[in-house]
Amino acid sequence: MAETAMLRKRMSVSASESPEELRPPAWSFVPRAFAPLLVGTVVAGILYFFVQPAIGGFGSNLLLFAGINIILAVSLTIVNGFTGQFSIGHAGFMALGGYTAAAIVYYGSFKIYGDASFHGGLVSWTGRAGGFRGPLLGSGDLLFVGATVAGGIVAAAAGWLVGLPSLRLRGDYLAIVTLGFGEIVRVVLQGTDEQLRRYDLELIRSTPMLKLMNKLGGALGFIGIPAYSTVFWVYLWVAIMLIVAVRLKHSSYGRALLSIREDEIAAQAVGVNITRYKVRAFVLSSFFAGVAGALYALQIGSINAGELGFQRSFEILIMVVLGGLGSVSGATLAAIILTALPEVLRFVDQYRMIVYSLLLIIMMIVRPQGLFGVREAWDLFRRRRPRGGA
Amino acid sequence: MSDAIGDNLLLDVRDVSIRFGGLCAVNKFSLALPPGALYGLIGPNGAGKTTAFNLLTGVYRPDGGSVYVQGKRVDGLKPHQIAHAGLARTFQNIRLFGELSVLDNVRMGAQMRGWHGLPGTLLRTGRYVKAERGIDRHARQLLDIMGIASREAEQAKNLPYGDQRRLEIARALATEPKVLLLDEPAAGMNPQEKHDLMQLIRLIRDRFRLAILLIEHDMKLVMSICERITVLDHGETIAAGNPSEIQANPKVIEAYLGEPV
Amino acid sequence: MTQLIQTLTDGIAVGSLYALIALGYTLVYGILQFINFAHSDVFALGAWLSFTIATWFGLAAGSGATTPPWYIGLAVLALAMIGCGIVGFLIERLAYKPLRAAPRLNVLITAIGVSLLLENVGQLEGMFRGHHFKIFGPYPKAMPALIPDRVLLHFAAVQFRLVDAVVLGTALFLMVAIQWLVFRTRLGMAMRAVSFNHNSAALMGINVSRIISATFVLGSMLAAAAGFLYAMKYAQLKQTADNVWVLLGLKAFVAAVVGGIGNIRGAMLGGIFIGLIEFFGVAYLSDKYRDVYVFSLLIIVLLVRPSGILGKATVEKV
Repeated sequence: MAETAMLRKRMSVSASESPEELRPPAWSFVPRAFAPLLVGTVVAGILYFFVQPAIGGFGSNLLLFAGINIILAVSLTIVNGFTGQFSIGHAGFMALGGYTAAAIVYYGSFKIYGDASFHGGLVSWTGRAGGFRGPLLGSGDLLFVGATVAGGIVAAAAGWLVGLPSLRLRGDYLAIVTLGFGEIVRVVLQGTDEQLRRYDLELIRSTPMLKLMNKLGGALGFIGIPAYSTVFWVYLWVAIMLIVAVRLKHSSYGRALLSIREDEIAAQAVGVNITRYKVRAFVLSSFFAGVAGALYALQIGSINAGELGFQRSFEILIMVVLGGLGSVSGATLAAIILTALPEVLRFVDQYRMIVYSLLLIIMMIVRPQGLFGVREAWDLFRRRRPRGGA
Repeated sequence: MSDAIGDNLLLDVRDVSIRFGGLCAVNKFSLALPPGALYGLIGPNGAGKTTAFNLLTGVYRPDGGSVYVQGKRVDGLKPHQIAHAGLARTFQNIRLFGELSVLDNVRMGAQMRGWHGLPGTLLRTGRYVKAERGIDRHARQLLDIMGIASREAEQAKNLPYGDQRRLEIARALATEPKVLLLDEPAAGMNPQEKHDLMQLIRLIRDRFRLAILLIEHDMKLVMSICERITVLDHGETIAAGNPSEIQANPKVIEAYLGEPV
Repeated sequence: MTQLIQTLTDGIAVGSLYALIALGYTLVYGILQFINFAHSDVFALGAWLSFTIATWFGLAAGSGATTPPWYIGLAVLALAMIGCGIVGFLIERLAYKPLRAAPRLNVLITAIGVSLLLENVGQLEGMFRGHHFKIFGPYPKAMPALIPDRVLLHFAAVQFRLVDAVVLGTALFLMVAIQWLVFRTRLGMAMRAVSFNHNSAALMGINVSRIISATFVLGSMLAAAAGFLYAMKYAQLKQTADNVWVLLGLKAFVAAVVGGIGNIRGAMLGGIFIGLIEFFGVAYLSDKYRDVYVFSLLIIVLLVRPSGILGKATVEKV
């Protein structure tokens, strides 16, 4: 039968035994892997060296917070948007990462330099413009970057712990657990011991780092952290976050996450180990939330768990939903808009929060799918493929 | 290996049972599918056909009995492990990934046998690109075969009903199964569409040396295509045999038409 | 021994407040399967309405102020409940009803929006076209005493106050009333039918929309009563946007979940349970981690028994 022969020919390739011809040349790996990161670094550099000086203190603060919020919103997109796991404890991961990084940089500085002053290079310089003489990167930057990653790792470990219950819980119940987790983190951090200060230098030096992790200032917050986090670092991480999220979304890995969101039973039927993917989504997402917390703490120079309660988690969640569940560019745009909105609304002063909440309600009623739905900004411009075959 | 599990059996189900509360939903269900089999599972509404599928695919854990896929024992395993063992299925109440594109739905099936590590995904290694291309090619071929290639960019939830059923089959086939369970694949189709679909199912079976078990309500259809039929009623297997035997079986007639007056 | 009994009475008194609020969460969840995050703000509204109404009656906080006759207190409670009932009705009609078919997450975000709105409208105070106006204002206020500060019972060093008796008594009365309403009346039967399945209920001739409204009104009235009782027990009222309200609401929600959300008896049981856990934790472990006990209990219960103590497990149909 002609038809069968045609079928036979068509079915000759399977995914498990893809022919070697599909493999790209080896040399193409480096540009493919790192070109976007290079672009990101350049953009971060431009923002830091050229844009920031031009927009003044108020503008650059907005720029910084927008960047941190982008990381938070996009990281939450991985859990909420891609995987469909409803998490409302994101600020808890942020707090964990922030406090970890703050403690490492603060106490680390005392241990290494004997004081908590700035030891970074040009890209970390937050002082007056032009007042810096020194190399591009300083030894303090190493401490800072290490602390940021450590903050991410601690948050990721917590994400693993919280992800485990998602083996058993669905929907709202998981949301409540994450909410409870966030509150526990907040209360525990607010119950930590008094922060050690400059005059305790000898004590700081003689106490092992792990033991210092309990002296985080309690309800007063952790203060006096040397501020290394600049527009450059924040947007470098924004670039990393965006690359990770976009690459994830357009890969088998991300597709598996999306399939869990769409239908868990069907996902299992095509071989997706849903518990494993859920936990991994949590881990990845909380890593970046921790990084964002670290960037935040080291930018302000202080961190207070009291400000990182469920309200903060809600803010991030709102960005994700407003952008469109599962849309990376949507979350990014929503993060920028929602960072700027309260400032824009300053002219209405005490009605600011009222206008904000009304906008939120109206938005949900008028455009429930968010700005972009599950799609990306660039999908909107792409022309639809013509129907019918060749 | 164990006693009489014929190596040539793709699916071997022995005395599988499950109860929900006091109700025995499926009792001692047994079935054996050799390569190339195209068997049917029929019975009145609520007879336990879909429950039987859920037992085989691990959605429910059987209270007793055993299930072997290609000689490997799978009862008690998680659904995704059973899928990896070579058992694929479609659903009675279509379960597609609605927001994903048609192509992505089939890719989801195809990627089960593909490779996907997280670092490789994020760095776009050569191995990753090759795997993704393989998945892509495989998925497009299946869309071609099922005749829905022209709709690959549409969201699955926007497809017409019949195409959704085809897409589900394509997705299941993409996992390269040895055994395919089809839960009312022709439901909601008109007679011509049903006929075409059955031809296609037969063709697929021939090409892959698959074993196919299908639940179908249209008696005429089942009788015309299936080589062997098992009849369930109230969770009990009341008959098994070839179409003519089934047609002549008084128990089956009774189950379908009610108690003889 | 003294501490034990004192903790027990405090825990039960506060627990009964949690139970009242939890009932509102549970009623709404039972019918719409969504967490009404604005519920804690209705609770705050109940407390502040009680305060405002009490000042209308010319009452003020402070020493020397005599407590008014008992029916004034009852009138304040009734008016606060009516006020919150109306607000609950409006919230459902204006914010949630348009989203009946939308994804759950959207409804949740809307609830958060409503919550923010209530909090911030409550704090309004300012000038409008030359007229000074105020909702509740941005500052904490002291609630006038409506109940004489009397010790009813002495047991060793334990004092059982009249306030506690009123709190407990009112809460118990309302819980029994709700129980009666849900299980013994036509409205209750309709509510149970709607919570079982909207479509079938509609086919049986039940006006689903009206039942949902009724549920919100009912839940809001209970929250108002809890707010009133809270104001009786703790005379200091924080401004409406203060964390205190949301946190109390959250704990009540935890109570609903621990008891088995959607289950009315579960909410009552959970409320008392949470109250006891909280007060025993504070009394015997450490004051610092007050909220940790409650949320840890929540996580443990959900892991061990995801549907709560009295909840029924649901199985998804394939």
